[in-house]
Amino acid sequence: MKAGLNQYVKYALVLLLSIALILFTQEIKLVKNPESTPVTWLTIAGLFSLYLFSMMGIGISQMMKKIDISFLRNFPILGWVSITSLVMCLIFDFFVTAIQAVDFLSITTPILTFAGISVVDRLADLRKSSWKIGLVAVFVFIGTYVVSALIAQFGLTLAG
Amino acid sequence: MNKVNAVLLLVFALVIITIAELIGIQSITIGSITISLLPLVFAIIITMVLGMKVLRAGPLKRIYSKQNVDFSSKYLIFIMLPLMARYGADVAPQMGEILQVGWVFIFQELGNLGTVLIGLPIALLIGLRREAIGATLGIGREGELAYISEKYTLESDEGRGVLSLYIIGTIFGALFFSIIAPVLLDLGFRPEALAMASGVGSSSMMTGASSTLVARLPEMESTITSYAAASQLLTSFLGTFTMIFLAAPLQQFMYKFLVRSDRT
Repeated sequence: MKAGLNQYVKYALVLLLSIALILFTQEIKLVKNPESTPVTWLTIAGLFSLYLFSMMGIGISQMMKKIDISFLRNFPILGWVSITSLVMCLIFDFFVTAIQAVDFLSITTPILTFAGISVVDRLADLRKSSWKIGLVAVFVFIGTYVVSALIAQFGLTLAG
Repeated sequence: MNKVNAVLLLVFALVIITIAELIGIQSITIGSITISLLPLVFAIIITMVLGMKVLRAGPLKRIYSKQNVDFSSKYLIFIMLPLMARYGADVAPQMGEILQVGWVFIFQELGNLGTVLIGLPIALLIGLRREAIGATLGIGREGELAYISEKYTLESDEGRGVLSLYIIGTIFGALFFSIIAPVLLDLGFRPEALAMASGVGSSSMMTGASSTLVARLPEMESTITSYAAASQLLTSFLGTFTMIFLAAPLQQFMYKFLVRSDRT
């Protein structure tokens, strides 16, 4: 039980770090371009909403782990957070207004910073896979993206 | 956790974010195609380059300590959660519009078969065989990894294929999609279609693709992020089923057909 609680404290701290970095990034963006999204009290409220929904999503995902339906058990935590936020935002318009005061691109830079740090030890593993797989990867990624886009384009044109 | 190293990691992150943001959005135009490089691209490139083993000395050695790197990969998913919450808020106001073209969202999920349709023939053409099964079943994320390791084990050729793709996708995925999305925009695709297609099933790849579209068309930000997020959510519901019931059988069929015709 104690270990479980400790884990939640850790999640809470990491999330706090995450929203603090978003705020920092949005401030730096303003230094570079004063025209970008301003930091207001609404932004702070938005950041706390993001924090709240993330924690709720973590809670729901942990609860689902106890349910004996593999689909729900394996559903990614990222998905639960999006769904929680979607439901809350559909119920209360305020959350939408507040969260949109947080600059979208400012959320992405800190994430990719940590993503970069997290993969450095795998760079060495790259040498183990052949150039052929690398080439295939390019076509695999283009494949899924372009075929989806073609279907979507066709469908949207039909829908008018 | 070593406190000094942890503080250094935090300071390092702030410095990298500052540098990346001050570089800002850079555009490279080649003919009629414009490639936009976002701060997020600079952030990942700088952190990867500085993390190369040869450069790890002095403070960099402490920043890229095993603990710090492990912390980043273990908690990356949690650092991403506020972004996922943001996507929920983007979808909410557009819910009516999204439901109206809901069937398009469902149909474009079939685009996930593009990995087999385009990837498999190329893989066989350049001489791969069983590895191609693992490398082209999907975009090589956790779902494919689990399926392949259950069916063939990760030590098999198929397993090595999916693992390689997993590593390549982790390292270059977001980067790759952030470059390819605006290229397709310049080729004449509708931004709504590209946004929808961005929900490929990996959050970082989706973010890479949708962010550059947002940077190119800021006035369409809410449509782009909401379409991408809705499609991503749908992929996390349907992706497993598409893989097991459509991609895997299609792949087996094409594999047998192409390898046989190769021999004659």
